[in-house]
Amino acid sequence: MTEGFIKGMGSVTGGSGAMERDWCGELVSYIRGADRVAANALISDWAERSSYESAVVELMAPALELFGKLWADNAGDTSLAQGYVAAKVAEDLLSKVLALRETSGLPPAPAKGPVVVGNIEDDFHPLGRKMLVAFLRCDGWKVEDLGVDVSPGAFVDSAQEVGARVVGASAMMFSTAKNVKRLREEVDRRGLRGRLQIAAGGAVFRLRPELVVEFGADGTSPTALQAPALFQELWARSVRLFPG
Amino acid sequence: MNSLERVFAAVTGHPQDRPAFLLNSTLYGSRLAGHPLPVHYSEARAYAEGQIAVLETFGPDLLLSPFLAAPLGEAFGSKATPPRGYAPNIAEYAARSVDEALRLPLPDVDSHPRLVYLRDCVRILAARHPGEVPVAGLLLSPVDLPPLIIGMDAWLDTLLADPDLARRFLDHLTPFFVALGNAFLSDGATLLALTANFANPSLVPRRVVEEVSRPALQAAFGQIRGPMILHHGGPTLVPHLDAYLGLPGLAGFLVDARDSLVQARSLAGEAPVILGNLDGPGLEHLDPESVGIMCDRILADRAQDSHFVLATSAADISLATPPENLQAITDAVCRSRPIPP
Repeated sequence: MTEGFIKGMGSVTGGSGAMERDWCGELVSYIRGADRVAANALISDWAERSSYESAVVELMAPALELFGKLWADNAGDTSLAQGYVAAKVAEDLLSKVLALRETSGLPPAPAKGPVVVGNIEDDFHPLGRKMLVAFLRCDGWKVEDLGVDVSPGAFVDSAQEVGARVVGASAMMFSTAKNVKRLREEVDRRGLRGRLQIAAGGAVFRLRPELVVEFGADGTSPTALQAPALFQELWARSVRLFPG
Repeated sequence: MNSLERVFAAVTGHPQDRPAFLLNSTLYGSRLAGHPLPVHYSEARAYAEGQIAVLETFGPDLLLSPFLAAPLGEAFGSKATPPRGYAPNIAEYAARSVDEALRLPLPDVDSHPRLVYLRDCVRILAARHPGEVPVAGLLLSPVDLPPLIIGMDAWLDTLLADPDLARRFLDHLTPFFVALGNAFLSDGATLLALTANFANPSLVPRRVVEEVSRPALQAAFGQIRGPMILHHGGPTLVPHLDAYLGLPGLAGFLVDARDSLVQARSLAGEAPVILGNLDGPGLEHLDPESVGIMCDRILADRAQDSHFVLATSAADISLATPPENLQAITDAVCRSRPIPP
């Protein structure tokens, strides 16, 4: 996870202070057990002693980082379900934080982005994309989620409309992943190469990372949990190439 | 030996004049037969012409019914995309939750048009070369049906949070699976090939496999009146092969291109057929020489394995694959040595 949103949240709450329980270890263990209920109960417990906002910074972020390493290394019998539960728990926590901010009249947390994500045209497998959205939002990104079956034109239209420098295109299968190439062509056709970076992700890119280059994407990450770091890198690259 | 004898010999571990081979060419047939995909995926006769064209062009040892999950979802009321360059997918689910799905009637395998299409494909292919070329009827096991009906998120949520409800849903779906599987067999399929991704510990935790998925497979497979081959689906199979070993009726495992065939054999034991493991969709990007070298390497490695079938793994061979690459597989098999007992 990257730092902007986390720092912003921390500064609001002042953090939780030292707690002797291994909260992070417990949370990772619930995620690895794919136990969303127990994970949420642990976070509520934390929030009672501190706050939900501090849980984002001091509990969720390190837990996701730790679990992300296990997932990327495929260590300890990690499963898709565990990644899914991690995303759901992050989503549950963010919903609580946002609801609390709204009721207490606090301004929205500082956001990175915006970025645009969607399943590439003809792809109707939303699970990975939903996980990506959860992890990006947990990392402080403002995300425009276009859903499934998004045409290259719709990706670029949306990116231009919201001022995104990164679009994330998700595809599960080789057949639909080929449409990332059409997204590349659309970005280039509109003269946005470099300014608008393409992150490609999904099962097929994990299995065959060479497709990232072949289809003209600018980067990928092995898991949805590592995507925030990729988006950070691509955003920075875009700013470096086109500072304005 | 004809193909049926060769495949039967691979199942029983008897000598073969050459290794049997399987091409996941259910999409590719449309290219050879010249039928547009909407026709290929809706008219059984057109589909069968594609498989026959594959047989006549490359000579694989098995004919296949469509490698197509969408009709199974459509039979429950889900909506599929029109095929645009590849097999259709489900775009809209029949229900939003298991509770809602439990109220849906089970589709009738004798009358639902999408199921009749699949069954007609089997019937036509089986009638074409009876006693000569075996036909595999492809379907999904009960644990993989829910994502076609309620979506993958809702199914994962249920499996993880409410195993009792998940079991109820699987119990509900099992008669449909059994009816369709046995219908394929009575239509002339020699064997069934199916996936069981939601019993793979790389997708769901072990506790779900042990408490929900495997018992459901045990109950369902026990009612199928013919042999079944487990296809790895998307994930690798070998690291988690133990989750499937010993299930009734499983005659073999079609493993992923990333799986080790040696490890597969070592874990599975002597008897099950191991099929694999050329990356089917990846064939598009190779040249015939590389394909030939890859096949030679696999066949040399499995030269003493009388229960081995060379097969393409993963999804369909893509339409853009040069036919020369598929011919290279045929050539490699034909120059291979006979398989000893």
